Amino acid sequence: MATTTAAVTLTSDLLSDNMSVSATTTCMKAGTTADGLDQMEYGYLDLPTGDEYDLIATTPTASKASKLYLKNHSTDETYYVAVTQNAQAIGKLYGGDWMFIPADFHDAAGDIAITANGGTNKICYALFHEGTVLVTT
Amino acid sequence: MATTTATLTLSSSDLLSDELALSTTATLTTAGTATGVTGTTGLARKTVAGAHGQYTLFDGSDYTADKAHKLYLKNTSTTAAEYFLVTVNAEDVGRLYAGDWALIPWSAHDNDCDIKIDPSANDMTLEYMLFTDE
Repeated sequence: MATTTAAVTLTSDLLSDNMSVSATTTCMKAGTTADGLDQMEYGYLDLPTGDEYDLIATTPTASKASKLYLKNHSTDETYYVAVTQNAQAIGKLYGGDWMFIPADFHDAAGDIAITANGGTNKICYALFHEGTVLVTT
Repeated sequence: MATTTATLTLSSSDLLSDELALSTTATLTTAGTATGVTGTTGLARKTVAGAHGQYTLFDGSDYTADKAHKLYLKNTSTTAAEYFLVTVNAEDVGRLYAGDWALIPWSAHDNDCDIKIDPSANDMTLEYMLFTDE
């Protein structure tokens, strides 16, 4: 089985006591400890302002344990990409921000879409999943 | 100014023919500035005791809209089949299985933009922390 680990460390001096929180997970297929997510797609793109684009269409199998990494590599902190799923606003990734989220792709409407603001945003993404619904040509 | 950082490391030696080793760090800042985020809930835990059902973790009306809030979530369960279904404004974002964590940008764009969790079993515990840009 493929073994992919995702680790995060959050540090902050916002509170009176310095905070450091760490977590590590092995990206497994849904509901099992025996088999890891074994497929991925990975990309880097320049995203112009204006239109909303599907970053990931709903081809991964629905309601599994897919994970999506997305980073805004823009160096201008006023630039951001708005992230939506099924036309619902999730959040904004400003220059330098990243996210790592579970991705459900619950039905044909569950696309994850991004819209650039401020200027052309540079985006890197990786989707870890356990299968896709192939579309015939 | 407070400094809050989030570092991600993704690694795999056998997913691809070449080793995957990705590491990145973000300094969490307020929307459109280089100023650090200004608030946090601190690290907290919620056990959805008894019969499981959907639970509002954060109410969109409690936070300023269209900001650069960030939400950390972790499912502390050790039972592989147990997951939290995470929704934003009633949209199913994804399932957080046992041991999984997530860092989610949250714009809280209107009063309906609540973050809710729905555990798949009774007595599951979620660890969470919100960094706010107010």
